[in-house]
Amino acid sequence: MASLVEMRNIVKIYSNGVVANNGVDFQIEKGEIHAIVGENGAGKTTLMKILYGSEQPTSGEILINGESVVFKSPLDAMKKGVGMVHQNFMQVPSFTAAENVVLGHEPSKGIGLDKKKAIEATKELSEQYGLYVEPTAITESINVGMRQRIEILKILYLGVEILIFDEPTAVLTPQETKDLFKAVRVLIEKGKTIVFITHKLREVTEISDRVTVMRNGKIMGTLKTADATREGLARMMVGREVFLDIHKKPVKRGQKVMSVKDLSFVSETGHTMLRDLSFNLYASEILGVAGVEGNGQTELVEVLTGLREPASGSAVVDEKIVTGKTPREVRQAGVAHIPEDRLSNGLSVSASIDDNLIVDRFFKPPFKKGLVIDQQVVENNGKELIKEFGILTPSGELPVSSLSGGNMQKVVVAREFSSNPKILIAAQPTRGIDVGATEFIRDQLVKKRTDGTAVLLISADLSEVMSLSDRIITMFEGEITGVFPDASKVGEEELGCYMLGVKRQTAEEMEALL
Amino acid sequence: MNFNLVLQGIFSALFIASVLRISTALVLPALGGLITDLAGSINISLEGTMLVSAFTGVIVSGFSHNVWLGVLGGILSGILFSALLAYFHLYLGTNIILAGTALNILASGGTVFLLFMLTGDKGSSSTLASGVVPTVNIPFIQDIPFLGTVLSGHNIFVYGAFLLTFLINKLLYNTKFGVHLRAVGEDPVAATSVGINARRTKFMAILISGFLASLGGLNLSMAYLSSFQRDMTAGRGFIALAAVYLGGRKPWGTVLAAILFGIADALSNQLGTLNIPSQLVQAIPYAITILALVVNGIRTRSQLIEQTKRFQERELSRANTEEQK
Amino acid sequence: MKKFFSNPAVREVLRIFIAIGSALLLGFIITLFISKDPIGAYKAFLTGPFTKFNRFGDWIEESITLTLVGLSVAIAFKANMFSMGTQGQLVLGALVSGVVALYVPLPATLRIPLALICAMAVGFIWGWIPGYLKAHLNANEIVSTLMLNTIAIKIYDYLLVFYIKPEDAGYNVSAIFPPEGTLPSFIPNVPFFNNIYTLFTKNTDITIMLYIVILAVIVAYYLVFKTPFGYKLRMIGSNIKFARYGGIDTKKTMILVFAISGVYGALAGAHMTMGIQHSIITNISISMAFEGIIVAILARNNPLYVPLTALAYGYLRAGANIMERSSDMSREMIAIIQALIILFVTAEQILPTVQKRIEERKEQNSNKEESSLPDGGSHEL
Repeated sequence: MASLVEMRNIVKIYSNGVVANNGVDFQIEKGEIHAIVGENGAGKTTLMKILYGSEQPTSGEILINGESVVFKSPLDAMKKGVGMVHQNFMQVPSFTAAENVVLGHEPSKGIGLDKKKAIEATKELSEQYGLYVEPTAITESINVGMRQRIEILKILYLGVEILIFDEPTAVLTPQETKDLFKAVRVLIEKGKTIVFITHKLREVTEISDRVTVMRNGKIMGTLKTADATREGLARMMVGREVFLDIHKKPVKRGQKVMSVKDLSFVSETGHTMLRDLSFNLYASEILGVAGVEGNGQTELVEVLTGLREPASGSAVVDEKIVTGKTPREVRQAGVAHIPEDRLSNGLSVSASIDDNLIVDRFFKPPFKKGLVIDQQVVENNGKELIKEFGILTPSGELPVSSLSGGNMQKVVVAREFSSNPKILIAAQPTRGIDVGATEFIRDQLVKKRTDGTAVLLISADLSEVMSLSDRIITMFEGEITGVFPDASKVGEEELGCYMLGVKRQTAEEMEALL
Repeated sequence: MNFNLVLQGIFSALFIASVLRISTALVLPALGGLITDLAGSINISLEGTMLVSAFTGVIVSGFSHNVWLGVLGGILSGILFSALLAYFHLYLGTNIILAGTALNILASGGTVFLLFMLTGDKGSSSTLASGVVPTVNIPFIQDIPFLGTVLSGHNIFVYGAFLLTFLINKLLYNTKFGVHLRAVGEDPVAATSVGINARRTKFMAILISGFLASLGGLNLSMAYLSSFQRDMTAGRGFIALAAVYLGGRKPWGTVLAAILFGIADALSNQLGTLNIPSQLVQAIPYAITILALVVNGIRTRSQLIEQTKRFQERELSRANTEEQK
Repeated sequence: MKKFFSNPAVREVLRIFIAIGSALLLGFIITLFISKDPIGAYKAFLTGPFTKFNRFGDWIEESITLTLVGLSVAIAFKANMFSMGTQGQLVLGALVSGVVALYVPLPATLRIPLALICAMAVGFIWGWIPGYLKAHLNANEIVSTLMLNTIAIKIYDYLLVFYIKPEDAGYNVSAIFPPEGTLPSFIPNVPFFNNIYTLFTKNTDITIMLYIVILAVIVAYYLVFKTPFGYKLRMIGSNIKFARYGGIDTKKTMILVFAISGVYGALAGAHMTMGIQHSIITNISISMAFEGIIVAILARNNPLYVPLTALAYGYLRAGANIMERSSDMSREMIAIIQALIILFVTAEQILPTVQKRIEERKEQNSNKEESSLPDGGSHEL
């Protein structure tokens, strides 16, 4: 019998010459949970994009139930029963959950909408698959877990049979992940088929029936999960042993360089995003902030770097209050900042690399000479940093947009590191970049810390926080729920409990550890 | 004394009726501006579209001696004109502000150019006998003293404007198209991912805004006046745009804001008799818009301060109750 | 050959030429249908400025104004501020410089600089307002500048009609400026230049504004591309969040950008009254500011190219006036050509847009780690 889905000899070459898929043969059987694993850039997402119609293969063929199909758009794919659960939710923020579920295919009554039916349909689906959502809640005000369920309901509403999940657990708490897995099993019971893109091997062994490993645009093999070991999969993925541990020299932590006291922040909409945060940051340490995204980390970084004003409390560097000051004043106090969203904050992609490398220093000598900026100095600064940080580009005069994601991040890192900061606030420093650049940046962070810089590391990647940090604090709903003075002595599960607010240290306990 | 007369004038039924008449030329394009704004494409060529339609309506009705042909021609020309904007913006990647500016220049110069070619006059079409749309007297209501003067006896565009406000409100919030339009304006990626054609939706939105602006233009040249005057829209297309912002990007808010501008305009006529310089009175609606921008800005800013304050009070009272325990 | 055309600079120039060329061609086609003597009309349009010395002068004068409004727009647009406020600044610049030129009893050497400085100051203030509104109150600059334009025009009309117009004047026009309040010719009236001086002053009104405008271009270029302020301006223009993150005082910079743009707009107004009209007239160039947008776009918002595009564009406008005088065509035909030029030039961005999209997609992909392979990784296995 033919497979439910068969992809034959798929080749995808992007217009910039990148070969993302190189002769891929891939089958999905009905009713299975099929995991696809691979390092960043291995081509797994491209392959799935081709399957659900958002990319067209350069060559190759797709068969569904033995019938050859051509998908020009995701809509074509959905008609044939293939749908994608996006990692970045495709939802209109001001619409209700139900409106988002039926978006594009709203039930109607005459020429008007049948809003009641939309709510009923959402409720029905929600109950049928155990995916709880509040149909009339406004999307922008609900939590990530529910938003993901909306995303799933959205494609179920369209009668999709094959659901592709793109790293669905990346944004979820451990508890939410468990709920998701439960829902996935219900989906299978109801006869759906699931493809699961991930790079977390633990999840592969936990949930999947079969697993396909991709590397450099090719399939390295497909095996039954029962026959696979994590070590074996890891070897197939990268061709060498992955070591999660980063070798860092033990260093004695130095003096206190920043102390945050009772910091609170309220958003424009009146939500309390940070409540009474207190912690200290010391020279020669990496203080990791563990927490599920959206629990105030973004706001914490923005308040500490001068991008937002706190509602109360303060952060003090060198006996000077830095909160409520302008970003430049904060920088002058010795605080550097790798922002979590490099494209919207950290870089001006249409400006040259050289220009991007001077935003924190163009106004002081030697860059400023008399009334003008000395172009020669700007150019030399660019040349040096490009060399030192291994930014792959023929010239600093090219726009940043000509670089790959990893090299863009290197531009940010080069600028922030070269300002010789006392304190480095690194938010999601390796998000969405290739392995090489990730490794480089992690090494640099450790090196900075060894050289005496205080590093505040905020990352959604728990293993990154655990392997890089000396000390860890956990954040949940804008509050610190736990402090762990020795990062090497705390387990993932333990941290998870604090990140979810299941456990919480007392104020006295925490104070003792700060 | 004179002042009293003016006051009487302002609170008279005739004044309210005149506000309705004057507002119509703002309400219609403002609705058009709202639709494009919600679809995520700011249409600054409302001004030009009104002008083109006002011109075409007069010319067609003047040469065909048929008012309705004129109206039809005006509407079609307005829709075509905005189709031009939509095409350049959506298919050729022109910045919509620049394309809109180009079209405004085209409309302003082009209408005068054609007017001169067709009538030999550069200032107005008064040599051409063009039609005026009929007015409607509402039975019964027209006989009620105050209400009759206010509500009855307006031209069809006045009634059309308020009917269209209802319809546009329905369209935006109670039809598939409206939902898709707002989705495209707010999050085009999400909209596209479920198969909504963002470009086509925006195209339609711009065409509808062209339709509404064309009615506004026709109202000027075939109802309010009975001829085309050079640059007769006099910035109404831009005021309409301002009304969208002033009205909080909601249909009724936008219409109310447009009427507010209408009141200011009508007032400047009334106050003119008070020996107050008309230039300054005419500047009032523009100053109001600036003021509205300021107020709106201060409001958003103070919201944050307010929230912060509330938070601090909340925390304080919490701390207090804990102490009492 | 292929390489030559793939050079971005070459393509840019080529594109602008094609845009202007096709707009002119369409204009000709229109003329063919309408004019009884289309060839004559179009010849007057295209060669007009060179047919008589005074026409040449008109062209240069027009180009000076266009350069100034073009710079005003280019500076704002470069910072990605869609200011439409040049019109209001121009009107008030004209008003204030005119008032000084008319009433302040000083000799020319003091009165003219004072008039220019006052105009610039009022332009600065009138530009500052929308800048402040945008920076501190997040007010849409398109709306606020359009409103301020009309307010400026109303103030201008009001003062002209009620205070400046001589009582016995039939029209809403001020008295003619005294020589002390009129910009002198760009050729000094000294014995050595006697002949040329008479030649130019008899036929043209090209004034010392020619030198001021050259200076203004250089200042604008340095301001935008060489100074720290220019760096801030360009960073705000390319990504304001990045500018803020990097420590740039975005609000202050933004306000200054608007204000400086206003200074240039007001200078254009001063040139119109003190250089060309020699009086304060009603309905002073309503459209001129929008012409500035065209000039700036053609120059890609680069101050150095603004005078070039202003000359090219001023040539068309001067030609249109001459065409109207010497044929049966109305000069408003130029509006059609203008609109077409903007549309063609900006629509030609279809090429860059496509390129940008591809780049963005590439960026997205590599960003999400979806398609790009690790750096230097070989694709062949």
